[in-house]
Amino acid sequence: MLKVDNVTKYYGDFPAVNGLTFEVKPGEIFGLLGVNGAGKTTTFRMIIGLLDPTSGEVTLDGKKIDYSVTDTIGFLTEERSLLTKMTVKEQCHYYGILKGMTEKEVDERLDHLLDKFGISSYKDKKIKELSKGNQQKIQFITALLNNPRLLILDEPFSGLDPFNVELFKNEIKEMAEKGSMIIFSSHRMEHVELFCKKIAVLKNGKDVLSGDLKDIKKKYRKKNILVKADIDVDKIKSIDGVLDVIEKPGEYEIKISDESVEEKVFKEVSKCKNVTKFAVEEPSLNEIFIDKVGENYEN
Amino acid sequence: MKTKLWYLVKVSLSHKIKTKWFVVANVLLLILIAGLINIDSVIKMFGGDFDKKQVVYVIDNSNKSYEVLKQQNENYSSLFNSEDESNFEIKKTTEEPKKLLSKKDNKDAWVLVFENSDENVLNVKLISDGFINTTDYAEISTMVNNTKSTVALAETNIDPNELAKISTPVKIEREVLDENKKSEDESMQMIISTVFPIFILPFFALTIFLVQMIGAEVNDEKTTRGMEIIISNVSPKIHLLSKVISSNLFVIIQGLLLVLFAFIGVGLRIMLGTGDISNMASIGNLDIGETLSSFLTSEIASQLVYIIPLTLLMMVLTFIAYSLLAGVLASMTTNIEDFQQLQTPIMIISLLGYYLAMMAGVFEGSLFIKVFAYVPFISAILAPCLLVLGQFSLLEFVIAIILVVFVIFLLVKYGFRIYKQGILNYSSKGLWKKMFKALKSK
Repeated sequence: MLKVDNVTKYYGDFPAVNGLTFEVKPGEIFGLLGVNGAGKTTTFRMIIGLLDPTSGEVTLDGKKIDYSVTDTIGFLTEERSLLTKMTVKEQCHYYGILKGMTEKEVDERLDHLLDKFGISSYKDKKIKELSKGNQQKIQFITALLNNPRLLILDEPFSGLDPFNVELFKNEIKEMAEKGSMIIFSSHRMEHVELFCKKIAVLKNGKDVLSGDLKDIKKKYRKKNILVKADIDVDKIKSIDGVLDVIEKPGEYEIKISDESVEEKVFKEVSKCKNVTKFAVEEPSLNEIFIDKVGENYEN
Repeated sequence: MKTKLWYLVKVSLSHKIKTKWFVVANVLLLILIAGLINIDSVIKMFGGDFDKKQVVYVIDNSNKSYEVLKQQNENYSSLFNSEDESNFEIKKTTEEPKKLLSKKDNKDAWVLVFENSDENVLNVKLISDGFINTTDYAEISTMVNNTKSTVALAETNIDPNELAKISTPVKIEREVLDENKKSEDESMQMIISTVFPIFILPFFALTIFLVQMIGAEVNDEKTTRGMEIIISNVSPKIHLLSKVISSNLFVIIQGLLLVLFAFIGVGLRIMLGTGDISNMASIGNLDIGETLSSFLTSEIASQLVYIIPLTLLMMVLTFIAYSLLAGVLASMTTNIEDFQQLQTPIMIISLLGYYLAMMAGVFEGSLFIKVFAYVPFISAILAPCLLVLGQFSLLEFVIAIILVVFVIFLLVKYGFRIYKQGILNYSSKGLWKKMFKALKSK
């Protein structure tokens, strides 16, 4: 289990991460969210042992992070981390052997992964000759090479087409099923919602929202009601607890402050003609994020 | 961690050596070095009248100078123990100079016109079609002056035997009182003071190569986030050590290849000659074969038994110091352009050492040069030069080595701290503050 226990990191007087606590159990996919500069990279750097926390502790299976532990971690960075002058094979050997694998082990695993991602023919090509999407695949492969116990994925779908996003998703799920702990960071909230059971949202280094995603959504009082009817928008807006009414193609989205407003809206809508839809939905993670952080993450 | 260190060394070294450019560069170096060693043969191969003596036509209007000048020319030849050493072929003529020099065969010839002035003083005019070289000019001037003196003395009715004694150039015999110094080594030392910096030139070139190589390699890894993956699996200390070891192995391999190319060049030279090193062809006035033979029998050659190993040790230690410094500086920079600016002072320091080594023979006993011979980074070039010239004792050389070792110790102790911080620093903002803070950390 990965345990980040009350971790704080200061750069001079600036607190990059402040009292962060979370746990990731084997088989879990954990979402670490936050706008740029929120403290995600510093957190990742502390988890892979590049930085020592100012206070608090990071442990993996009860062991403090050191070079014997980092061999079992896979890290996919948001920016390119490939040495573009190398061939795919050389690059994978380089990172694999630095993670304590033998050349034979790297070769076997590499052949399997290249085949899985349909890029076996690129094995002896220089990385700089590959497209952005294929480079991202190689970067993903280098993170998976050592069958990591802990896999950190920072924006794994960057530069990928929908087909390859699906390939990555399946591989990530497979890794989790095999018992790997996965920390996932993405600007695409639908991906986070799809993968992560637990999340933590960072703002200025502080954890402003964390826990089980279902519980977070449940506890979040604001709801959305989707309505297909000939409604009087002004009348609905005048109901106490209605925050906004947004006209969408063929329907209306009514944002309410809490569950108690549902009944009042239902009564008003039922008076309208041509009512074909009345559905209460939980808010999206993006809405919760904007509410908590004050910025739209998907921009 | 040890396995990872040697793996990093292997990868770094093979990326330097297993490239087509390494092969191409070394083929070119072989051609250049072998060509330079045999440059005279190469020049002669393309043709020219290099073996011909300088033809000097003499118009002797004084009616007494031609024979004396011819005698002077022979005297100069015998002074150098060889008839062939005479640079001039003296011929008498009465033809008009312009007409004479306009002939195709006489294009490079000179005309010396001897005239008696009204006061019975010898006046001389030297006429040529183009410019003449200063060495030949100096030699003919001396001969003409001696001719003038001899003619003047002859007119005072001195006995011909006495006159011959006076006009013959003096051969100076040297005696050195210091028992440890042979007089025949004196000229050898002069030659070495000129030639030694040339031998050290590859070291200077390899140093620059080494510094640039480490800077480029560190920056290459740093410009991607690959450095984060690497440093999360090996410590910064191991990472820097791998760069230092691989780069030093590379320059040592390259240095050995240069030596091999030089041997191939000398081998070719022997093949082009008669097979005997002492019969190798000459370059201008310098007979390389003879110089080499003199060198091998000189006192200085016997000192090479300890000079060569000490010089090599000093060079390897200085390479290590340079590579550590380059690695630390590269870790502080965020791109190769910044590193290139930072490496300029290193280049100038190395260049200073090279210039001082060239001047050491001229400014013998200079305290200024001697002090610099102790300064690490410069000492690798300067200290061996002073040791060969006898201006540095063995003890002084050992002190210079100890100083380099001390600098390596400082670079290891404090440089590693900066490297650890710098290697993951991607911003030049507040750089020096960060580095000074890193120096204080442990």
